[in-house]
Amino acid sequence: MPENADGNIQVKAGRHREADLYKALHGAGAADGRTLEQLRQAALGVYDATELPVWRRSGFWTTNLQTLDLDALDVRHHEPGEQPAVVTRTIPERARAGRIVQQDGSVVHIELQSSLAEQGVILCSLQDAAEQHQQLFAEHYSKRLTIDRNKLEAANAAFWSGGVFLYVPPGVVVEDPFEVVYAICEQGVAQYGRTLVIGDRASDFRVHEYDLAENFEGQSLHAGAFEMYLHDGARARLAQIQDWGSGEVYDCSTRVVALARDAYCHWLPALLGGHLVRQHLELAVTEPGGDMAFRGLFFTEARELLDVFAVDLHETGPSGGDVHWRGAATGQSRASFEGLIQIDPGAQKTHTYLQIHSMMLSPKARVDAIPSVLVSADDVSASHGGTVGELDETAIFYMQSRGLDRPSAVRVIIEGFFEPLLTELADEHLAGLVREKIAGKLAAAREDIETYAASR
Amino acid sequence: MADLEIRNLHVRTEDHEILRGVDLNIDRNEVHALMGPNGSGKSTLANTLLGHPDYEITEGSISFKGQDITEAEPHERAKAGLFLAFQYPVAIPGVSVANFLRMAINAKREEPIRVKEFGQELQSAIDLLDVDRTFTSRHLNDGFSGGEKKRAEILQMAMLKPDVAILDETDSGLDIDALRTVAEGVSKLQAEQGMGALIITHYQRILHYIQPQFVHIMLNGRIVLEGGVELVERLEREGYDEIRRQYGSEVTAGANSSGESSA
Repeated sequence: MPENADGNIQVKAGRHREADLYKALHGAGAADGRTLEQLRQAALGVYDATELPVWRRSGFWTTNLQTLDLDALDVRHHEPGEQPAVVTRTIPERARAGRIVQQDGSVVHIELQSSLAEQGVILCSLQDAAEQHQQLFAEHYSKRLTIDRNKLEAANAAFWSGGVFLYVPPGVVVEDPFEVVYAICEQGVAQYGRTLVIGDRASDFRVHEYDLAENFEGQSLHAGAFEMYLHDGARARLAQIQDWGSGEVYDCSTRVVALARDAYCHWLPALLGGHLVRQHLELAVTEPGGDMAFRGLFFTEARELLDVFAVDLHETGPSGGDVHWRGAATGQSRASFEGLIQIDPGAQKTHTYLQIHSMMLSPKARVDAIPSVLVSADDVSASHGGTVGELDETAIFYMQSRGLDRPSAVRVIIEGFFEPLLTELADEHLAGLVREKIAGKLAAAREDIETYAASR
Repeated sequence: MADLEIRNLHVRTEDHEILRGVDLNIDRNEVHALMGPNGSGKSTLANTLLGHPDYEITEGSISFKGQDITEAEPHERAKAGLFLAFQYPVAIPGVSVANFLRMAINAKREEPIRVKEFGQELQSAIDLLDVDRTFTSRHLNDGFSGGEKKRAEILQMAMLKPDVAILDETDSGLDIDALRTVAEGVSKLQAEQGMGALIITHYQRILHYIQPQFVHIMLNGRIVLEGGVELVERLEREGYDEIRRQYGSEVTAGANSSGESSA
């Protein structure tokens, strides 16, 4: 097995405890009636007692954070004021329901359409919510997020500051997106971001999260925790655009979306960059009638390393799931994807499908995709499929024969590869932003892609 | 000097030589038919004319409108006004026919085409090729039937308005209605825009709808016989065997039986 040149990746055979590492959280939340202060204290204990985590899938990959100098990072606070340049520069101008921006350790900007505030929509920092909306906070905070699985999860639970709280009241329908932004503007920052979104009964809304960083030299960290609860009949479209820039940004985050009776979520993370990104993404149907479309795309470049664990969890049936991911890798980057379908005992009449398609654009890039299925009910359907591809030279020649130069033809193929997901975003602003970022990454990797093509 | 001049063209793949000295002149307003059995090198010639990277020119030259394009990149040849209707069109998932056409047209222009102008041209091409309007919003060749793929090729030709088009077995696999539509499309473009055409086929069928002025017979990598439309009739009577008996003896029959690429 090849070893990545920067030494972050090594693949070892042998004994391991991977069964514990790639496992659904499965509702094992930490809250359990404890107060925020008690939870912070408990998490601090775990933080002090544990080392930086390692995730190992034997025969495939190991993701470890040993190059992260955690002691050199600190939480930095800012007064509310101007939004960071990377935010205004990146996010498309468009009608929005509201926006909340956390820079480093502090929320620096909050806006909410006044008509929505009048209908009872709440958009504020999580810190404020803990004080001003105690009941909602207590009922949901850390309900399905753990605090003790690893040092960085514990760090988030112990040290989080600022944070995002969004509450959409029963029956409220919001067309325009709520924008949740986490920005890191310099090196040396530890950002412990924490988001809690509650969609009350029969609400219907969109959330667009942006995770952005300036291109700086040196290390920073985003250790994030995200939880979203959709109550009976609620519907949400959740998109996440992540691009931590060219700096050495580590992102180790856990995100959970839980669907109550007849709730629906369309979730699409677009993971477009970060030095080392480790994401545990879990979409759980917790009551009958829940339905989900779990989409995702990634594009890694240079020496980036991405490790995604995506869980399609059905605690009860009838329920529906549909997981569809696409990713591409250039440079010496490495993307490791594990998709898990888990159907619990009693989750009868669950129908779900998982597919992962990847495209290798460089001889030194590597994409691994492991689909796994854990089924404990007998009246269900669950299956998976996937493809691994390279650039199709016949398609390139075909397009060249129509007048497109080679880089344009490559771009068209890659855009076409991601298009099924971009179409599903059903949002031209977001799709345009993703296309633009992918085009930029392709342009940066042009030489690499050409060398690869020539060598085949 | 002809618009497209092929001089003593020798082409090989990694494995063996396929074209062994082809000479051919094609001018605008002319319709040429290139016929020959499977493996004779017809598709190799077509792909080489557009610069397919798998085919290496070892000798000879190609010039187009006075420019030597022997070494030109495929997209440069297209921009100069050459077009190839592929024998096996390639699916481009995720890219609609209309979007692809817009990109291809804009690649040839300084300024992007205006939306209205593009719409009008697309509509007239749709009418010409007798396809459904929804055709252009489908992903290019993705899940198309054989006939749809061939129509899509001619639709692209109609939109890109080449000076010389090479049609590589566009007639293969078409039913008689589709064949007629495709042939009428080609004839119309030829009549209206003065397009030159090289129609590659090994059936006589399409030539009942498009009358070629020049007919060339290829055998084992060479054009062995040239003439007018009467050659087509002779082929219909005698078949390739007779031609092979007369002209094929100088080369080893079957030496490049796998030479015709499907690329």
